[in-house]
Amino acid sequence: MKKKQFVYPFMAIEGQEKMKQALILNIVNPTLSGVLIRGEKGTAKSTAVRALADILPEIEVIKDSPFQLSPDDEYELHIECMRSAYNKEVSREEPVETLKRKVHVVELPVGATEDRVVGTLDLEHALKKGEKRVEPGLLAAAHRGILYVDEVNLLDDHVVDVLLDSAAMGVNTIEREGVSFSHPARFTLVGTMNPEEGELRPQLLDRFGLCVNIEGIPDSEVRVTIMERRAAFDEDPGRFCEEWEDASEDLSKRIERAIVLYPQVTIERPLLFEIASYCLDVGVDGHRGDIIILKTAKTIAAYHGRTGVIHEDIETAAGLALPHRVRRQPLQEIADDVKDFRAERISL
Amino acid sequence: MDADYQDFKYTMFKGVFPYSAVIGQDQLKLALSLNAINPLIGGVLIRGEKGTAKSTSVRALAAILPEIKIVKGCPYSCDPDLPYELCDYCKKFGKDHEISGRKKRVITLPLNATEDRVAGGIDFNLAIREGVRAIQPGLLADAHRGILYVDEVNLLDDHIVDIILDAAASGENILEREGISFRHPSRFILVGTMNPEEGELRPQLLDRFGLCVEVVAESDREKRILLMERREEYDTDPAGFCRKYRDEDKKTASQIMQARRFLKGVSLPKHMRTFICELCTESSVAGHRADIIMEQTAKALAALCERFEVTIDDIRQVASLVLAHRMRDPAPPPPPPPPPPPPQDKENNTPPPEESEDETQREEEQDQDQEELESNDDHKTGEDKQPEQKPSELNETKNNGTDEKNILDQIFEVGSTFRVKKITSPKDRALRRGSGRRSRSRTSQKQGRYVKSTTQRKTGDIALDATLRAAAPYQCRRKGESELAVCLKQEDIREKVREKRVGNFLLFLVDASGSMGARGRMVASKGAIMSLLLDAYQKRDKVAMISFRKDEAFVNLPPTSSVEVAGKLLKEIPIGGRTPLCAGLVKGFEQIRNYLLKEPTSRPIAIIITDGKANQAMGSGKPLEEALEFASRMALDERIQFVIIDTEDPRLVSFGLARKFAAVLNARYFKTEDLKANGLINIVKERL
Repeated sequence: MKKKQFVYPFMAIEGQEKMKQALILNIVNPTLSGVLIRGEKGTAKSTAVRALADILPEIEVIKDSPFQLSPDDEYELHIECMRSAYNKEVSREEPVETLKRKVHVVELPVGATEDRVVGTLDLEHALKKGEKRVEPGLLAAAHRGILYVDEVNLLDDHVVDVLLDSAAMGVNTIEREGVSFSHPARFTLVGTMNPEEGELRPQLLDRFGLCVNIEGIPDSEVRVTIMERRAAFDEDPGRFCEEWEDASEDLSKRIERAIVLYPQVTIERPLLFEIASYCLDVGVDGHRGDIIILKTAKTIAAYHGRTGVIHEDIETAAGLALPHRVRRQPLQEIADDVKDFRAERISL
Repeated sequence: MDADYQDFKYTMFKGVFPYSAVIGQDQLKLALSLNAINPLIGGVLIRGEKGTAKSTSVRALAAILPEIKIVKGCPYSCDPDLPYELCDYCKKFGKDHEISGRKKRVITLPLNATEDRVAGGIDFNLAIREGVRAIQPGLLADAHRGILYVDEVNLLDDHIVDIILDAAASGENILEREGISFRHPSRFILVGTMNPEEGELRPQLLDRFGLCVEVVAESDREKRILLMERREEYDTDPAGFCRKYRDEDKKTASQIMQARRFLKGVSLPKHMRTFICELCTESSVAGHRADIIMEQTAKALAALCERFEVTIDDIRQVASLVLAHRMRDPAPPPPPPPPPPPPQDKENNTPPPEESEDETQREEEQDQDQEELESNDDHKTGEDKQPEQKPSELNETKNNGTDEKNILDQIFEVGSTFRVKKITSPKDRALRRGSGRRSRSRTSQKQGRYVKSTTQRKTGDIALDATLRAAAPYQCRRKGESELAVCLKQEDIREKVREKRVGNFLLFLVDASGSMGARGRMVASKGAIMSLLLDAYQKRDKVAMISFRKDEAFVNLPPTSSVEVAGKLLKEIPIGGRTPLCAGLVKGFEQIRNYLLKEPTSRPIAIIITDGKANQAMGSGKPLEEALEFASRMALDERIQFVIIDTEDPRLVSFGLARKFAAVLNARYFKTEDLKANGLINIVKERL
């Protein structure tokens, strides 16, 4: 019997509010295009992402399908995928078996090769039965879930390119080794990196919706709390998780309410003007910055139970969406504090 | 692969943003429309920032273009109106199968495409079942009479680029691989996007694109708000949003259809042709493609405006689209011959104390020179056909000063960086590790893009798909020899050949002594170093920095990929004191040897930035001799390549010491001023 793996509870992470907020916002609204977490070692980056497992909402998927498709609006796709990937005909009269489960966090290890990420020819089947069949990769498993890439700046360029493509298009296309196949791949990309080891290419930076810079916490009281909690968890994980169960429950419910509320959130025109000005003052490439700030601000409003966006929402959203988009020479630093940066630029 | 499935695949995208709803980007839309009207234009290259609706516009346009006629079930998108081009399927079944219409496809070239999928390969299933070598059409077949969309075209693999280039040029795809010999028509509109920050495109590929558009984001606030609102509206209710713009889209589509019909009747008056030729000659374009394309584009524009004759305004309007990526700097005039050295060379023989008077005079002259040269300095993309400039021949005589002054003697501004020409190591057959982009190298680890298969057996990295394809045609004969459906034999086994760009290791050895602080030499050197760092960033090299001054050398930066940290450190290096050149060389050598221990197949480059005036010895000997002796020992290690950047002030008496070191180290020699891209020679000679 497998021993249950205990994961450090999300709510028990002390400090790093920005990072937690960025992750929560992405769960509420997956169209925010993910989070890039930049920071030194030992700052709970990976812990936070793995801890998400507890608070993620549930979704319905078609059973026995490796593509995590939704029975409501992706049924047609399901039929096509099963046919082209497995040469299996799915009859429409049969009722679809579905199952409800939590959103998955799929981890992409640093040594991942392209064929495991994208999918490839099912060799076993080809050798045994003499038929071409697709073996789906990690991107199929990540559909409608979270793809977690640790040390994203150390990935091989071509694996990064593949992630870029799929994250942008929402479709993973396999055209290799004699296989031609596409399947939906809409996932929230969460990446972590240590900037000391080199920066990301600008295109990959831009694909991340939000970016958070984190450092170790200088406050001694907080540091003590962190140590105490971690020790308690290591000694008796089961009990530790129990103590935090209520808090995790609350957060889950809050997220669910926000998801429901989001479509009703509206924003006044003067605030849109504010967003446009912010981006122009700070100097960003293209329009993605504007669009992401708009979505993030609305998500923040929904998370706080409001249907109207207020000025503070935009400030917070800009602080999350702009640090990695600020136009800069390739060798300049990424803007740490966007608000100050903007003030500087205006005064110039 | 089923033809129906192909169509299904291309509709899997969430739904297309309506063409008319795209705000701004008029030049881009114009370029795309003109291509839709006249396919002879040859595609569009879209250069620009991210997030500017590049791919959105292309897909949106394809969605409204008129349908093309096809034979149902044909895998090659044959045109039923061109009987001599029909494929075997159409020839057999064409008369029975119905002719239907379908939308022009936009085939996106995925970044992970392998050659067999792009060009086409053997149909595995058929081969196993029936023992025949049948073709499985590739992307170039799918793209026929459609649009081939290549995102980040500057990052594409060379061999894939070559396949596409060939097809784009000849209009057909020729397959000669895996025992198949086949050809089929492949005419498509090539659309590529790129972000110039990531590196430029090879000149041959640049020229293949008919038009080039630079896209920038909107700076008008109102437009930005409108853009945000529309995007949000689309995301909330895609179907409803599309309905809103349907009529306008239909109008655009019918305009294009109308223009197509007009196109046949459009004529170009003779004097217009002359005008076109003049325009092209003025811009010093290479070859004649520009002239031809400008004619086609102008005609398309006239057709769009429903005119039968091309006007001069048409040509003016399309000129920027056609010439943007083809303009080059005119060949520079030959440098003026150096004046004969006067019998008594007053300038150079002046002893140091009197320098100050001459100096001010010289500085004035130099300011003038700089102004002249700056006006020629706009760096444009395109082929650089300037003749190689040889560094001045420094003889040991003292007449050097005047000669040097005539050749590009400029002093550039503080911290201004310039584009550096390529520093590459030529490709050899040694296997390496790494993921940089400077030199392409076959990799030994099982990393890197699977490029093609080979029958050699070296690494055990089996290419299963190629092996299966090689074995497939023989299965009928081998039936019964194994329980598996596919019986493999020794001779079928194929191995993968992987390729990856390997970054280099650049070690900067910076002279931080007092002589560098004088007269802005350090500032000038810093500019040069920054340029090299920028280049390293793009090529993903590892960098390290050592500085030496007073009586020792410091490792400022151990080997790192973080070029940003190197840049920051550069600003903070303290200057002053004597020049312990030997200490610097020793430390540098140590670092490189350590690196070589970790990465024995790497090709490190040591860039030594100094004026060579060693005056602090490590031991008891003379500093200069000591340094030269150590340098000659360093030169014995053939794995290291050296570059010397001479920071000696060219206005002063030249001792030519850095030159001596360059000779001993067998290094490439440059002056700080020489590093500008416009006049640069490849830094690394062909050694292997």
